[in-house]
Amino acid sequence: MKKKNISTYILLLLMLIFAAFVLFPILVVLINSFKGRLFISSEPFSIPKGDAFVGMTNYTEGLAKTGFFSAFGYSLWITVASVAIILLLTSMLAWYITRVKGIVTQIIYYALVFSMIVPFQMVMFTMSKIANMLSLDNPVGIIILYVGFGAGMASFMFSGFIKGIPLALEEAAMIDGAGPVTTFFQVVLPMLKSTAVTIAILNTMWIWNDYLMPYLTIGTNYRTIPVAIQYLRGGYGAVDMGAMMAMLVLAMVPVIIFYLVCQKHIIKGVLAGAVKG
Amino acid sequence: MKKTLSIILIIALALSSAFAGGASESNANEVYFLNFKPEIADVYTDIVAPAFEEETGLSLRVVTAASNQYQTTLRSEMAKSNPPVIFQVNGPVGVQAFTNDVAPLEDTGFYALLADKSMAIEQNGHVVGIPYAVEGYGIIYNDAIMRKYFALPDKAVDISSADEIRNFATLKAVVEDMTKHLDELGIKGVFASTSMASGTDWRWQTHLFNMPLWKEFGDILTTTEASTFEFTYNENYKALWDLYLDNSTTAKGMVSAKTDADSMAEFALGQCAMVQNGNWGAAQILGQAGNVVASEDIKFLPLYMGFEGEESQGLCVGTENYLSINIHASDEAKKNADTFLTWLFSSETGKKIVKENLMFITPFNSFTEEELPEDPLAKEVNRWMNMDGVTSVPWAFQGIPSEQWKQDFGGALLQYINGSMDWNAVVEIARNSWSVEAEIAGR
Amino acid sequence: MEKSIKKYFALFALPALICFLISFVIPFIWGFVLSFCEFTTITDVTFVGFKNYVRAFTVDNYFTHAFFFTLAFAIVSVITINIIAFALALALTRSIPGTNAFRTIFFMPNLIGGIVLGWIWQVIINGVLAYFEKTIAVDAAYGFWGLVVLMNWQNVGYMMVIYIAAIQNIPTDMLEAADIDGANYWTKLRKIIIPAVMPSITICLFLTTTNGFKLYDQNLALTAGNPNHQTEMLALNIFNTFYSRIGFEGVGQAKAVIFTILVAMIALLQLYTTRRKEIEN
Repeated sequence: MKKKNISTYILLLLMLIFAAFVLFPILVVLINSFKGRLFISSEPFSIPKGDAFVGMTNYTEGLAKTGFFSAFGYSLWITVASVAIILLLTSMLAWYITRVKGIVTQIIYYALVFSMIVPFQMVMFTMSKIANMLSLDNPVGIIILYVGFGAGMASFMFSGFIKGIPLALEEAAMIDGAGPVTTFFQVVLPMLKSTAVTIAILNTMWIWNDYLMPYLTIGTNYRTIPVAIQYLRGGYGAVDMGAMMAMLVLAMVPVIIFYLVCQKHIIKGVLAGAVKG
Repeated sequence: MKKTLSIILIIALALSSAFAGGASESNANEVYFLNFKPEIADVYTDIVAPAFEEETGLSLRVVTAASNQYQTTLRSEMAKSNPPVIFQVNGPVGVQAFTNDVAPLEDTGFYALLADKSMAIEQNGHVVGIPYAVEGYGIIYNDAIMRKYFALPDKAVDISSADEIRNFATLKAVVEDMTKHLDELGIKGVFASTSMASGTDWRWQTHLFNMPLWKEFGDILTTTEASTFEFTYNENYKALWDLYLDNSTTAKGMVSAKTDADSMAEFALGQCAMVQNGNWGAAQILGQAGNVVASEDIKFLPLYMGFEGEESQGLCVGTENYLSINIHASDEAKKNADTFLTWLFSSETGKKIVKENLMFITPFNSFTEEELPEDPLAKEVNRWMNMDGVTSVPWAFQGIPSEQWKQDFGGALLQYINGSMDWNAVVEIARNSWSVEAEIAGR
Repeated sequence: MEKSIKKYFALFALPALICFLISFVIPFIWGFVLSFCEFTTITDVTFVGFKNYVRAFTVDNYFTHAFFFTLAFAIVSVITINIIAFALALALTRSIPGTNAFRTIFFMPNLIGGIVLGWIWQVIINGVLAYFEKTIAVDAAYGFWGLVVLMNWQNVGYMMVIYIAAIQNIPTDMLEAADIDGANYWTKLRKIIIPAVMPSITICLFLTTTNGFKLYDQNLALTAGNPNHQTEMLALNIFNTFYSRIGFEGVGQAKAVIFTILVAMIALLQLYTTRRKEIEN
């Protein structure tokens, strides 16, 4: 019994050390967000006091330089709208290609699966050209791009689930006189809820954090949070590290809040995503 | 459930088609200018654009490319449905890259202003690029610190003012002795940081490099046609380069985090005595919060690196600022672009802004002697250009075959600083990359 | 029933398919075609055969270097991430206090985006190196290990969650039986736990490998390839070929095709191993 106690304490200590390793970088950024930019590079790990402490200056400057609030607005709009439309359109598509058997639906299915493994670099150049040609290079048009690029994984997961639903339920509804539209929205869609939550979470994480697609398609005029942060470099050659720290904090806060609120769903979601993907 | 979803869907599709319809309409009364110079981006948006709109009713849209990203930004903007009307090319090589995009400019009012027509870039008998600013660069020094040094009782050199530094040997002796007296001079290093952060190494891979390049090829045209490059004068380059690095405010290991803006700030704050840069840097020095350098103490020295007879060598004076008009723009947009440029460089308001805010030394006949900028560095460039027995060095770097060459060389310089590459390898990269890039450029 | 659904193609399948065509199918085919062409604007395209593929390797050696750098990075990060994640999972499935809190904390970095992560770690690493008057751009080794640490920080929690779920699925009676037989912890680990979680190990190995190969945002924000392309990974190299080198768009597209084949091969290998496992069981 005594041996077990010692090993428990050792394990606990190791876990605490690892927790410190995880939390330390976030803490450093938080501390530095209150420091003058020159002190961030000269003494990054000290507590800001005296000359080094600049209060909220970094935040006000960063907000002005990055247009953080509009970036937050664009990120939020693009993420929420894209996820909602992905869920709706791909669940419909998945149901259709699962229930209608034929060469066409087979081809669509394999094309969707194939798109999951293709890296973005393969299509980024031509996709941004097409987006420009079709005037999709705005915060609404980009949703169509996200739906198209997210369609692979979402339809794959939906159709995996739909395959497991017994046909009898749908047939019963149809015999009762319901058309396919009613059947889908009243019988099938409610059953997809848990898969939909998983897909919503995976897609939210992807779209919220995505950098390249918004940078290439809408980056010149509309900046999402990752694009706005990366623009703190570049712009005039120099990086204002003070503003950078403040913006990193602001970028992390909503994510951490979201995580703490929906933790259970998120962990379940990524777990399901990993196993099926 | 069904209703809500379908409503969301309909709204989204309706919205996207509305955007799709609206976004492609370009405003014909808007002049889209893709600006090359980040350091004066604010002047264009805050001063030039409102004044232009007030006087002509046309509007000006200025987009500024990120530091060192002009070529790629221009390339991607040109491919868009609403491309820039006015853009900048950096010389004959720049025109080659956009050879199908430049409009003939002979009949423009803007071309009529150009005093020396031979300065324009021609292509197939048409004028396609017009210079708008002549610039000079060298080593900027703070004469107040130099006077302090020359007043030291134990200085190791015979001369008694910075004016007397007329060759590399003297420069080296002065700089190295100054490094021994840092505390007495109240500076952190003689030279400002050798900025090597990505995108900010142009002062070395382009400007400083101009010296051995010019010495090897003699003029811009020969450089532009050279298919191979020997780097014959690499030891001279290395001599001045090492002097910068060994007598700097910043340890070698830290230069990869420094930008040119940092270097200019160090100079303005009196932390160093010298910084290599051009007259465009005046605004950065005088506009720096906490600037301690008096306007009359800001002076220029040529880039001495031990060439024979360098006593007669002046500053590097030239231009890589040529404006071109997009041939694909509508006739009205082209006309408006000409209206804007002519307005900027000949109207009273425009000229005032050019002199006081943009601080260009212009090549236009619309400017009188009194209308040249009054910033100390522009005056210094004029002083050196008109000095007896001194010849300015042309901007041979315009003949560098590609931007890639500059990146390759800059990358090699950084590895040299970090000790992961020896000097011979740097020279080798400069040579090889030149052959490769010259071939790609079709030389 | 199938027939009645079939008529509704335009309603059910078409909206998503149009999006899919616009943002994937057409760009993919067009991109593949362009990899055999030389072009600076999309209206001025000439067919050049395999010239771009040759140029991808001959004009400079950055692409080859990026391949080996990416490979080394993937190997090191896959091993470290999975060992650490598995160890944490073992620890957190034993009865120590606060397992839920630890799990919450360890998983958190996974949600933070790559650009943000890259900048966070740049501050930390440059902060440490500043004591030696250096920065992350001084030596490619700093960038390499910086990326490894970053990747561990981001991914360990995720893989740990997968391992925890697998370990918790092991029937308790199997472990109890082993306890009765007097087996010690290492024997149990080797004989029962590891074989039981093998499918999860496969999943995690492939997930981390693919993540490692496709890494872009973190690479851009942490090192941007400095010094001199020495820490440039494949995705970043492709981006730089496209957008910072005029006239090299075709070469960039050719590199992207090679990259796609590489990633697809990893995915097929995964499919093959998981299928074989399923048959064996």
